[in-house]
Amino acid sequence: MKQTLRFDQISCRLQVEGLPDVSTGQSGDVLGIITGWSLQWAGRPELEGRKEHLLALMQAVLPYARLLVSGAGRPLTSPGQEVDIAPAAGGGHQLLLRSSQPGTEPLTVVLDDAELSDLVRVLDQLRLDSRLLLTLDIPDDRPLRGREVSHRIPRRQRLAAPAAAVLALAVTTAASLFWPTPKPPAPAGQGLTQTDKLNAPR
Amino acid sequence: MVSAAAPPQPPATATDAPLPRRGIERLDLMLLCAEALDLNGAEATLILSEQLGFQELIPNRVELWKRRCHNPLRRQVRRGILATADSDALIRILCTQCERLYPLLRALLSAAEPEPIARQRWELFEERLAGLVRERMNPRRGGVQRLLDGAEGAQQRRQLILAMALAAGNGGFARLKASLMDAGA
Repeated sequence: MKQTLRFDQISCRLQVEGLPDVSTGQSGDVLGIITGWSLQWAGRPELEGRKEHLLALMQAVLPYARLLVSGAGRPLTSPGQEVDIAPAAGGGHQLLLRSSQPGTEPLTVVLDDAELSDLVRVLDQLRLDSRLLLTLDIPDDRPLRGREVSHRIPRRQRLAAPAAAVLALAVTTAASLFWPTPKPPAPAGQGLTQTDKLNAPR
Repeated sequence: MVSAAAPPQPPATATDAPLPRRGIERLDLMLLCAEALDLNGAEATLILSEQLGFQELIPNRVELWKRRCHNPLRRQVRRGILATADSDALIRILCTQCERLYPLLRALLSAAEPEPIARQRWELFEERLAGLVRERMNPRRGGVQRLLDGAEGAQQRRQLILAMALAAGNGGFARLKASLMDAGA
């Protein structure tokens, strides 16, 4: 009854093992329970883990790929902090994997763009495979807000509107300072005598 | 005189809203990159359109060109909004193109390739892309000048190739569409 799903790309191979969930009436070659998985990378140590680790990998890598499509790559961490991914200093992408076993040092892997796209493709193939009858909690792809993609607009163009606003405010303020103000009305009683104000007694 | 108020429309969601102009610009540039990678790219686009069941939307080369002319960087620009069905069809076609061209995209992105071979690949791609851009885009637009620029354009061209690699296949559709819908994209 044990089922194995295998997804191959040039630099990596993802293998997921599991069983159909008979409690929900599944049978045949479907996979409703993941019992283990392994990710083999050319020239790198093989990764193994439970379903939670695979989910954490997907929760970090797929949203990161989404950001890269917009040219807005930034560090991301899976909700349980098992996996970190960030742009690497010398180019490429740094993947940090923390083991759940005590005393095991985190594993750091640096991937180039091609290896990252291979990894994204095997994860996509897994989540879209019709034999996987399991709900994976992966955030939906959503459009980025203006400030998240502000770096795409050239600085001159980005600063033009605020600079014009500040300039307009400065000009208005200066003009209002130089504008002649009307003389204040003379206070009552000053310049007029009581006699002027009242009718002279007849 | 007061006219009867129109019934309120539900707000457009990310999935049914039309692509912004910058999104159409990027989509058309990625289709252009696909043509630069594949000499028969234009023909392949039409064949894929038929295979994917978009023959009614995009039955021939002229209809494809009319939709792509919503790109504001083009020499002949069409005003108005590109219908969501049309933009979705173009994104699906592009994702399938990227799947087909994935080995080429991957080879361009790989750091494991020997430097002279990688450089030759990029030069060939950039030469073809520049030819297509000069032929179809308005050279007075800043976006076109930036794309053809040596240093600034190189980063943009690599970004387009990376986006295409990450958008390859069925899984890439939602990712690419969300990216094309970015605010101020």
